[in-house]
Amino acid sequence: MIPLEHWIIVSSCLFAIGVAGVILRRNALVVYMSLEMILNASNLALVAASRYNGNLDGQVFAFFTIAVAAAEVAVGLAIIVALFRLKQTVQVSDVTTLKL
Amino acid sequence: MLTWTIWVSFIGAGVIMLMKPEKKDLIRWIALVVASVGLLIGLFCFFTYDLGGSNYQFGNGDGVAWIPQFGIHFKVGVDGISLPLVLLTGIIAFTGVLYSWNIEERLNEFFGFFFVLIGGVYGVFQARDLFLLFVFYEIAIVPKYFIIAIWGSTRKEYGAMKLVLYSFAGSALVFIGALALYYTADLPGGKTFDLDALASANFPVSFQLWALPLVFVGFAVLAGMWPFHTWAPTGHVAAPTAASMLLAGVVMKLGAYGCLRVAIMLFPSGMTANVTLPLWFPAGMSGLVIHHFWSSVFAIIATINIVYGAMVALVQRDFKFVIGYSSVSHMGFVLLGLATLDLTGLKGSVMQMFSHGVVAGLLFAVVGRMVYERTHTRELSELGGLIKAMPFVGGVFIIGAFASMGLPGFSGFFAELLVLIGTWRAFPWLLLPIGIGIIITVAYTLRTIHKAFFGDRRNDMTKWDHLAPVTIQEKVASLMLVAILVIVGLYPPILLNMVDKSSDQFIKHHVKPSISGNLARQ
Amino acid sequence: MNSSNILHVLNLLTPEIVLCGLAFGVLLLDIIFFRSDSVEHRHEQLGCSVIIGLVMVFFIYALQYMDWQNTFVVGHGAFVASRLNTLFKMAVVGLALITVVIGFKTPYSTHVGEYYGLMLFSVLGMVFLISSEDLLMIFIALELISLTLYVLTAFQKGARRSVEGGLKYFIFGGFSAAFLLFGLSYIYGATGHTSLREIAGALQGDQLAKVPMKMLGIGILFTLVGLGFKIAAAPFHLWAPDAYEGAPTPVAAMIATGSKIASFVALTKLLLIGLPAAAGSALSWPTRWHSGWAGTVAIIAVLSMTIGNFAAIMQTNVKRLLAYSSVAHAGYILVAIVAIQASGVPAPSAAPAIYFYIIIYALTNIGAFGVVNAIGSKAGGDDFEHFTGMARRSPYLSLLMLIFMLSLAGIPPLAGFFGKFYLFAAAVQADPKNLGLLWLVAYAIAMSAVSLYYYLKLTKQMYVLPAKDPRRVTSNPAMNTSLGLIGLMVLLMGVFPNKVVERFENLNANPYPIWEAAVPPPPQPEIPVPAPAEKPAVPAPAAPAPKS
Repeated sequence: MIPLEHWIIVSSCLFAIGVAGVILRRNALVVYMSLEMILNASNLALVAASRYNGNLDGQVFAFFTIAVAAAEVAVGLAIIVALFRLKQTVQVSDVTTLKL
Repeated sequence: MLTWTIWVSFIGAGVIMLMKPEKKDLIRWIALVVASVGLLIGLFCFFTYDLGGSNYQFGNGDGVAWIPQFGIHFKVGVDGISLPLVLLTGIIAFTGVLYSWNIEERLNEFFGFFFVLIGGVYGVFQARDLFLLFVFYEIAIVPKYFIIAIWGSTRKEYGAMKLVLYSFAGSALVFIGALALYYTADLPGGKTFDLDALASANFPVSFQLWALPLVFVGFAVLAGMWPFHTWAPTGHVAAPTAASMLLAGVVMKLGAYGCLRVAIMLFPSGMTANVTLPLWFPAGMSGLVIHHFWSSVFAIIATINIVYGAMVALVQRDFKFVIGYSSVSHMGFVLLGLATLDLTGLKGSVMQMFSHGVVAGLLFAVVGRMVYERTHTRELSELGGLIKAMPFVGGVFIIGAFASMGLPGFSGFFAELLVLIGTWRAFPWLLLPIGIGIIITVAYTLRTIHKAFFGDRRNDMTKWDHLAPVTIQEKVASLMLVAILVIVGLYPPILLNMVDKSSDQFIKHHVKPSISGNLARQ
Repeated sequence: MNSSNILHVLNLLTPEIVLCGLAFGVLLLDIIFFRSDSVEHRHEQLGCSVIIGLVMVFFIYALQYMDWQNTFVVGHGAFVASRLNTLFKMAVVGLALITVVIGFKTPYSTHVGEYYGLMLFSVLGMVFLISSEDLLMIFIALELISLTLYVLTAFQKGARRSVEGGLKYFIFGGFSAAFLLFGLSYIYGATGHTSLREIAGALQGDQLAKVPMKMLGIGILFTLVGLGFKIAAAPFHLWAPDAYEGAPTPVAAMIATGSKIASFVALTKLLLIGLPAAAGSALSWPTRWHSGWAGTVAIIAVLSMTIGNFAAIMQTNVKRLLAYSSVAHAGYILVAIVAIQASGVPAPSAAPAIYFYIIIYALTNIGAFGVVNAIGSKAGGDDFEHFTGMARRSPYLSLLMLIFMLSLAGIPPLAGFFGKFYLFAAAVQADPKNLGLLWLVAYAIAMSAVSLYYYLKLTKQMYVLPAKDPRRVTSNPAMNTSLGLIGLMVLLMGVFPNKVVERFENLNANPYPIWEAAVPPPPQPEIPVPAPAEKPAVPAPAAPAPKS
């Protein structure tokens, strides 16, 4: 059986890639995909941990997470579409009406 | 019964706030009634205070539980130290209303904020619970901002914000100190904010040594202690007349009173303990031992207040700034008297609080209301020769200035004399700089009188021909303040008896045990 | 008391079911009956039915509150019904009620049914978040709140600020949710449980040796980051000013109050029930500083107070000012959260102080947002210049704003003052002998002195400066009444806080306390959470499983 660390390392790598994507990319859609990647990293960790802990809580958790991620897709894309209608762009760097 | 001074002020503030601003005369009269109720209650208690009775009177015994989870009580009462200050508040409030008779703009809000401030001040002087005292202390802070920023003059928003932030920073220090001492006090009756119980808590000396400066400085910021005095002149100058009177006359005393009632009463050993400064000497000495460390430090700072305030007042060009810095200088005497921890010094300090309250009220009224609102200038170089145009104002100012100089026959004389005697006993080496300070005080007072009322323009009378006559309200208020100065000056026992009694109790119960205990430890 | 009987569970869930039904009902009503009506008419009809429904839910909660003496736990903590939780739910429903009232008839969009429906769904999320003691339920409830609020923030589809605020809120919120989930998955991985009480059990005594500590530490850290976003603690606060400014004011009020309450309750529970054994200590650095969440929370608290207060000074928009002030207030609350487990045992009044403060904070803030909405919708914006001279244009609303601002600044006799006193006293109380947390409390008090500056700056606009536009500003009677009541409550809770304090302290110490699992085992183990020295460059935790 593959030890837990391997799964954890893969999930950490996915997480790191996702975080890098969110921070570095300027396109709202790509940022959005990176977010999904972080969620999947968590799913991987959950399922692996569930297998090693010998209970199913983690797998149930992962199912719920997938459902939540789907809901997030709906909301997120709706907001991005609304933005595109107003500004004809999906670049995060163009969203500058509000000062930070 | 004395508590009604607080409630009447707050209720009055609420009622006036809700009135239509157009009904100006009605608002003024209601304000005068509210202020005079406070004054009359104060007077009644002042004259019925039983010198043979218990120390705290007109209170509610052990108080009413307010927030029992924290041992917070609504506990009030006055002794011979706080009663004169309650009376002083009544006097300043009453005359302040009279001097504010000419305010036309947003009158309801003005008197609303004014009486919230007054109520807070009354509360501080009567509170015998640290939390309660702190609550009233903070209530008194914010109205000052609005009074100055809305109705003030020169750089009013700056002056108001500076004043409020200084006060609030000071009260933050007090807040930290209060939390620390609340949990450090190890009392048989459980945790409490009751000042009398806390005073018997015997805080460890190491704790007192850092908590004392925290609380003392926190309060002393409001007393105008150098180097945190800079809010005072700018605030006083920016404030409208009634607010300057209150600020210099009463609010600065809040700070000094807090120093006495909280810092010194709870941490007497912190004042008297010796501190070894870690300095290295060649001859094998481990460090420099300073006896009565914090007491000496505060005495030196108070001396700086006296001398520095006087020196700065000497070179001011603005009439009101002169009075502002003279307040800083005179508050030095109050702080000095407290720092001596000597019975005579303490009595002098309390007398000086009262006396300076009245004097500062009078002088600010003359400058802010009677002179500035007629001449529309406060530049000493542009004034001059006013004595012919306004003989009444000139006379009142000269009397006030003489009282402020500490001439015999006025209240200030006794106060400063007592403080000096106390200082002679505790810190004789400070008398030289203080003497210089007193000489400078005489110099700037005479200079101001000369420049403003006599001066080169004595014969050029046309400039002041158009000045409006002095109103009846101004006359009544001025004569009242002058009368008090003279009465207390000629017959000090009227005040001194009760101050004497309570100061004696204070020294005996709070300061003496710690000194002897401290000496025994060494 | 564990409940497994389905009827009993349904009975417990009555108000939540009603709330859920109400949310769907509003949507359906709008689609089926009112589609052809005018927007204003729909606003009236639906708004009134939502108000009636929320009042009903509020009363069911009130009945439950009076009726219950026990704590009911459904499914290992997925739903915990207790008096304390019910009190918070009442607060959240009450705040939602006020939000509906202050947003009444200010149409931000033609989608009236969706507006109310989403609002109710977010309330449902808050209610579930308050009563859950399970990682999965916490995550789902938080997401329910967040997803509805993202949409509501971007609800003014035609307004750039609204959509941009929504996008920023969405990206930061999604990022934080991802962090939170990642952290939760690691906590689950390390302990093998999702129920908070079972997690606490897995960290007790000799069980602790089996737990991979680095994994747990990373999990806690990421969870704190995720929840830090939700409570807008610095440095995770960047979304807050934009979302507050861009969102329709009632929605901003919802984000600032209801969602804050729920998130703080969740954070407190997570740390207090689930992870008391991993608290470490933040007392008197460096000698008594042990690694654990307390130190991390202390750092977040210091950053929040600093950044929140100093950034607020520079704001010229009232909603942004309130956003930064809420960052600072999150910092103050975190001070007490640090104290909650500071000296090994739960500090007795830390939790009640937190509850008291978040209630006070939410009450004051919803009042402030109410005034901002009332003035802003008439004066044409929420910048400082729109508030200039408001004391003469609208004395009543200005007086209320003055009360709310001074309460936030902590001026007695208003509730904010006692709230702060209670928080800070509780924090000092955590280690009364050595005053170990005084450093943090002193910092917090100093920062709250700074805060007076910007609150006064706003009131200066209203009271000191002359009005440019002399027309009077009025609002409708319902709004005036509810705002007046809030103002009165802020005053009364400041003058007579003892009753409320008593209630919270009793609930916190009742015989079936919600926090029963929080009492740690007598021998408090030293927590070897990863030392900074051996921190790997990449967060790649190595579970101390035997190498095969």
